[in-house]
Amino acid sequence: MGTNDQTRSLPRGLRLVAAAGAAALTLTAGLTTPLDPAPRQARAADDGRKVLTVAVAQSVDSLSPFLAVRLLSTSIHRLMYEYLTNYDPKDNHAIAGLATKWEPSPDKLTWTYTIRSNSKWSDGEQATAEDAAWTFNKMMTDSGAATANGSYVGNFRKVTAPSPTKLVIELKKPQATMTALDVPIVPKHVWEKVSDFSEFNNDKSFPVVGNGPFTLTGYKADSYVRLKANKSFWRGTPKFDELVFRYYKDQDAAVSALRKGEVSFVAGSPSLTPAQAASLEGADNIQVNDAPGRRFYALATNPGAQAKNGEKFGDGHPSLLDQRVRNALFLAVDREAVIDKVFQGHAVEGEGYIPPRFQNYFWKPSANQKLAYDPAEAARLLDQAGYKKNGDGKRVGKDGKPITYRVLCHATDPNDKAVGKYLQEWWGELGIGVQLNCLDNVTDPWLAGKYDLAFDGWSVNPDPDFVLSIHTCGALPATPEETGATDNFICDKKYDELYAQQLAEYDPAKRADIVKRMESRLYDLGYMNVMAYPNAVEAFRTDQIRSITTMPAKAGNIYGQDGYWSWWSAVPADSSGSSDNASSTGVVVGIVAGVVVLGGLGAFAAMRRRATAGDRE
Amino acid sequence: MTTTDPALSPRALARQRRRASVARFWRQYRAERAGLYGLTVLALCALLALFAPLFVGSDVSSVTGAPGRPMTSPSAEFPLGTDQFGRDLLGLVVWGSRVSLLVGLLAAVLSVAIGTLIGVTAGHFKGWYATVMMRITDWFLVMPTLVLAIALATVMSRSLTTTVVAIGVTTWPTTARLVRAQTLAVETRPYIERAKALGGGHWHIMSRHVLPNVMPLVLAQTTLIISTAILAEATLAFLGLGDPTIVSWGGLLQDAREAGAVSAGDWWYLVPPGVAIAVVALAFTLCGRAVESVLNPRLGVSR
Amino acid sequence: MTAEATPALVGDTQQTAPGPRVRRGSAYPRYLAGKVAGAAVSLLAVLVTSFFLFRLIPGDPVKTMTGGRQVSAGQLAAYREEFGLDLPLWRQFTDYCGKALTGDFGTSYQFRAPVVDKITEALPNTLLLTGTAFVLYTALGVFLGTRSAWRRGGLGDRFNTGLALTLYSIPSFWLGLLLIIVLSVGIGPLPGMFPTGGMESGGKEGFAYVVDVAHHLVLPVVTLVAVEYGQTLLVTRSALLDEMGSDYLTTARAKGLRDDLVRRRHAVPNALLPTVTLIFINLGRTVAGVILVETVFSWPGLGGLFYQALSVPDLPLVQGLFFVFAAAVIVMNTLADLVYPLLDPRVAR
Repeated sequence: MGTNDQTRSLPRGLRLVAAAGAAALTLTAGLTTPLDPAPRQARAADDGRKVLTVAVAQSVDSLSPFLAVRLLSTSIHRLMYEYLTNYDPKDNHAIAGLATKWEPSPDKLTWTYTIRSNSKWSDGEQATAEDAAWTFNKMMTDSGAATANGSYVGNFRKVTAPSPTKLVIELKKPQATMTALDVPIVPKHVWEKVSDFSEFNNDKSFPVVGNGPFTLTGYKADSYVRLKANKSFWRGTPKFDELVFRYYKDQDAAVSALRKGEVSFVAGSPSLTPAQAASLEGADNIQVNDAPGRRFYALATNPGAQAKNGEKFGDGHPSLLDQRVRNALFLAVDREAVIDKVFQGHAVEGEGYIPPRFQNYFWKPSANQKLAYDPAEAARLLDQAGYKKNGDGKRVGKDGKPITYRVLCHATDPNDKAVGKYLQEWWGELGIGVQLNCLDNVTDPWLAGKYDLAFDGWSVNPDPDFVLSIHTCGALPATPEETGATDNFICDKKYDELYAQQLAEYDPAKRADIVKRMESRLYDLGYMNVMAYPNAVEAFRTDQIRSITTMPAKAGNIYGQDGYWSWWSAVPADSSGSSDNASSTGVVVGIVAGVVVLGGLGAFAAMRRRATAGDRE
Repeated sequence: MTTTDPALSPRALARQRRRASVARFWRQYRAERAGLYGLTVLALCALLALFAPLFVGSDVSSVTGAPGRPMTSPSAEFPLGTDQFGRDLLGLVVWGSRVSLLVGLLAAVLSVAIGTLIGVTAGHFKGWYATVMMRITDWFLVMPTLVLAIALATVMSRSLTTTVVAIGVTTWPTTARLVRAQTLAVETRPYIERAKALGGGHWHIMSRHVLPNVMPLVLAQTTLIISTAILAEATLAFLGLGDPTIVSWGGLLQDAREAGAVSAGDWWYLVPPGVAIAVVALAFTLCGRAVESVLNPRLGVSR
Repeated sequence: MTAEATPALVGDTQQTAPGPRVRRGSAYPRYLAGKVAGAAVSLLAVLVTSFFLFRLIPGDPVKTMTGGRQVSAGQLAAYREEFGLDLPLWRQFTDYCGKALTGDFGTSYQFRAPVVDKITEALPNTLLLTGTAFVLYTALGVFLGTRSAWRRGGLGDRFNTGLALTLYSIPSFWLGLLLIIVLSVGIGPLPGMFPTGGMESGGKEGFAYVVDVAHHLVLPVVTLVAVEYGQTLLVTRSALLDEMGSDYLTTARAKGLRDDLVRRRHAVPNALLPTVTLIFINLGRTVAGVILVETVFSWPGLGGLFYQALSVPDLPLVQGLFFVFAAAVIVMNTLADLVYPLLDPRVAR
C-alpha cells in the first residue's frame, strides 16, 4: 500500500482546517469574553429606539379579536384595542377604559355607557359609541364573530349608540358583570369590510388599526409579534418605543436568553420552574418576581357526567359519587408536601376556590370544616363507606374489583406529572390504585366524562362570575353531543341558588358574602379540591427595565394581567454609550462562524485544486 | 449425501454441524476487537440491570420516600446528585437501565419477528402474495420512521407497550427486505429442490431449511435494531410520549429538561442518562457490525 | 435524527441498492416510466394513510377545536359543515383526496388558515436548517470516508470510524441540550457565544439579518452534522473498500500512477455510487428528520409545527404535514432511482 504518499497530503489539509477552526475559536473567545460581562442597557435598536422584548412560547391562534382565545393573543388584543372598562392595577376595581362612566337603570336591565371623546384610531378616525355598538351587534348576529367572546353577549337584548358618546345595552336578565366585559372594541370602518369573520385572521396588512397603547406592526408565526407605541394614546404614551414578543418554544432557551440579555422579560408557561428561578436569583441584573398567582390548582373528581336533558354519559368510577370517598381522597393528599416538594415554595397551600390574591372573594374553611392531611382519617372514612381492603391490601369497589382511579393529566405540565407520582404513592398506601393518564390534549376524555379524577386549574378574573358559573347546572351541555360551559359536570341545587343570587346582587359587599358561601359549599362537596395557588414566577432584566407595574401593585404579577399595565408602564433603564453590546457581539460571532465554515470549505477546495494541478504535470 | 457417517442419525448430525458452526462463528467473532468491547460492555450492563434490585431496590423511584433535597449537585451521599424530587440520580440511572434495555430488546424482537415473518413468506411464496407484501414493505420504508412512531404513540395510550409497538411496527421493513433476499438465495439451492421433491410442505421448507439459514442474518439485524430501538425509546420519552410514571433514561432526560436543568446549568442531571444511552447504543452497534463482518467478510467492515 | 436512522448501518447494500442496471439506452424510458408510476402509487398510498391514520386518534375534532368552550348545537353544526365533518367518512375522504390533488389540504383548525399557507410559511426555515446541515455532513462524510478507506486499519481510520460510530449512537436532542449548556448558556469561564434558540432576533434587515440568521443557525447545524455524518462516512468507506479490491485499480497502480491520482480518478467516482443513493435518501429523510433538533432549538420549522398540530390534534394540518414528510422521501428515492443508471459508468448505453 503506497500510503507514504498519503501521509503527506492529509495532515496538510487537516492542518488548514484545524488552523482556521482554532483561529476562529480564539477570535470568538477573545471578542465575546470582554464584552460579555459588560453591563447591558436597555436594548436599543440602531436608531436609538427603546425595545422591550418578551419571551413567549404559546403560538398565536388568531389575531382577530373575534377568534382569539389563547392568553397571548388576548393579551395582545388588550394592547391593540381599548375595552369599555379596565381594572385598577392596585385593587382590580373597574375603572375607565373606552367608557368614562356607566350606569344601570333602576330595573337593572339597561346599562348606559359614556364613551370618551379623546380616543382616536391609529388611522386618525375618532373612536365612538358607534364602533362599540357595531362590535357587540356583530357578535350577536354573526356566529363567526361570536367564536371567542360570544358568551359575553348571550344575555344582551339590544345594543344601540344614540350618540357618538353614548352606548346603551339592554339585557334580558340582570347581570352583575357589566363592568367586566372583556371584549375588544374594533373600528367599524375597518372591520365592516370583512366578509367572513370565521376565516379572517387580521394578520395580513400592517399596521393594524387600533386605539390601545400599542399598535401591531408585524407578525411572523412562531417567530415574533411586533408592536409600536401609540403616541396619541389617551392615557399617555408608553415609555418603550417598541414591544416585541419573541418565540422560545423551549422554556430553558427563554431563560438562557434572559440571562444573556437577548430578551428583557420571561414569564414561562405557566411559570418558571423552581430550578430556573433558583438559578436566576443569583444572576446579576436579573430580578425574579415571585408573586401570588391568580390561578388555583385543583384535583377535580368526576361527579357522573350528565347533560341538561338528564342524560348520563361518561364512565366515572361509581365510588366517587360518595362524598366520604371524595373527602377521604383529599384527606390523603399532603398539600404541604405539594407546596414544599413540587412547587418548592413557589405556591400557597390551597383553601377555598378563589385565590387569596382576590381578597374580597377569598374564603378559607373553618378549623372543623377543613380537610387537613390525615391518612388515618381517610382510611377510616373509606372503611365506613364500605370500601374495605381485600387480602392483597387493595380496596375493592362495590363490583368486587380492586379500585384503580384514572387520573387525567396534562402531558405538557410537569406539575401534573409530579403530583401524579405522589398521588400514586399516597393513595397506594390507602389501598387505591392510580393510573396516570397524561395527554397533550385532555379535552376529549374530559368533555366525554371518561375519567375519574383530573388535574384542573383556572386563572381567576377580578370578577369571579366566570369561574363560579362553570359549576352551575346551567353550564351543563344541553345534550351529551354538545359542549357546555361546565368545568367538570358539577350540578348542585344549593350552589345554583346562591349563584343566581350573587349575579343579581349589585352591592359588592353583599355579593362577596354570597360568593364565599358558594365556595364553602363547593369545598364540602369535594368535587373540586384546591391543592395549591401557584405563584406567578417570572423574571426580568433590571438593566433593561428600570420599573414595571405589577398587578396588584403590591406583590403582583407582570405577564397576563387584566389590563395593559405592565407593558404600558414599563420604564426603560438608562442607556449609556455602549447600548448595543449584545447585538454587536452577535454580529461579530456570526461573522466568525461564517468565516469558520468558509475557511473550512476554502481549505478543502484549495487542497483539491493543488492536487489537480499536481495531476496535470 | 454419500459421505455421512451411517452411525449418526440425521438429527444428531444436524446438531453436530450446528455446534461446529457456532464454534466457528465464535472463533471469528473473537478476532473482532470492537465487537468484543461491545459484548463486554453489554454483558456488564445486562448484569447491572438484572441485579439492580440488589444494589438500589425499587424504592429508589419512590417520590414520597426521596432521601435528599431537590436538584442538589453531586456529593458524597449522592454521587450523581438528585433529581427534582430529591431522589438519588445514580440509583435512578441504574434502575432506568432495566426499562431502557427491556424496551430496546422487546421492540427489536418485535421488529425482527415481523420482518422475518414477512421476509421469509414473501421469499417463499412468490406471485401476488409476495408482490403485495413487498409493496407494503416499500411503503413502510418510505414512511418517515420518527413521524410514524410519534403518530402511533399519540394514537395509543401512553404505556410501555405503546412504545414497544410504535418502535417495532416502524422499524421492520429493512429486515424484511434483507431476509427476503436471503430466502430467495437459499431457495435456489439444490437441497430445497430435493426436499420439495420428497414431499416437504411449505411449513417444513420454511421452518427447517430457510429459517436456519437466515438466522445469522436475523441475529445481526436484531443486534443493530436494538441500538436503534434504545435511541427511539429515549426519543419518544423525551418528546413526552412515554409513560411518565416509569423511570427510563429518555424519561430522565425529559424530566431534567422539564425541571429546567438546562438553563440552570445542571449538567450533572443531563449527562449520565445521555451517556448511558450512547454507551449501550454504541455497544450494540459494535456487536452488530462484528456479527455482520463475520457473516459477510466481503463487506469490509473492519478490514 | 439518530433514532430513525437506517438500522443496518453498514454494508446494507440491499437497502441502498440502486434500481436494476439498465443495459441499453432504449430501456431507460421504460425504466423511468416504471419508477415514476411506482412513485405516484406510493404518493397515493401516503395520501390515504395520512387521512386514516390520524382518524384513529379518539375524539370529536369539533369539540377539540372549540377547546371546551360552550358551544350550542347550532354552532357545532356550523363548524361541522364548515370543515366538512358532517359528511360521511367516505365523502370526507374523497373530498380530501380530490382537494389534495389540486394542492388544497383544507383549513387548519387551530390557526384558521389554509394548511398550505402554514406549511409554506415554515418550509423555508426547515429547508435552510436541513439544507445547510445536509451539505456539510455529506461533504464531511464523503471526505472522511474516502480518507478512512484509503488508509484502512490505520490510526486515522480507526479514530474516524470510532468517532463516527460514537456520534451516531448519541441521541441528537441530548447533544443539542449539551451544546446549549456549554456554548449558549456558558459554563464556568466559557461565555455563552450562541443564541439559545429561534431563527432570528427580529428587527434586523439586510446584511445584519443574514448574519443574525447564520448566528442562530450554528448550533442546530452542528448538532445535525455531528449525528448524521457518520452514516455517510461509513457507507462511503465500505463502498470504497469494495471497489478497491477491483482488478482495474490494481492495474492502474501497476502502471505506476500516483496513488492519490488512482484514488481520485478511478476509485472514488465509482465507489461514490452507493453513496449517491444514500445522499438522496438522506435528502428526503432530513425534511422530517429535524423534529427533535427543531424542538430543542425552538426552530420555527415543519417539525415544531407537526408536533404542535399533533397535540391538538389539528387533523388537516397533521395530514398535510405527514404527506409532505413522506412525499419528500418518495420523491428523493425516485430521483435516486432515476439518476443512478445515468451515473453508473459501467453501464453500457
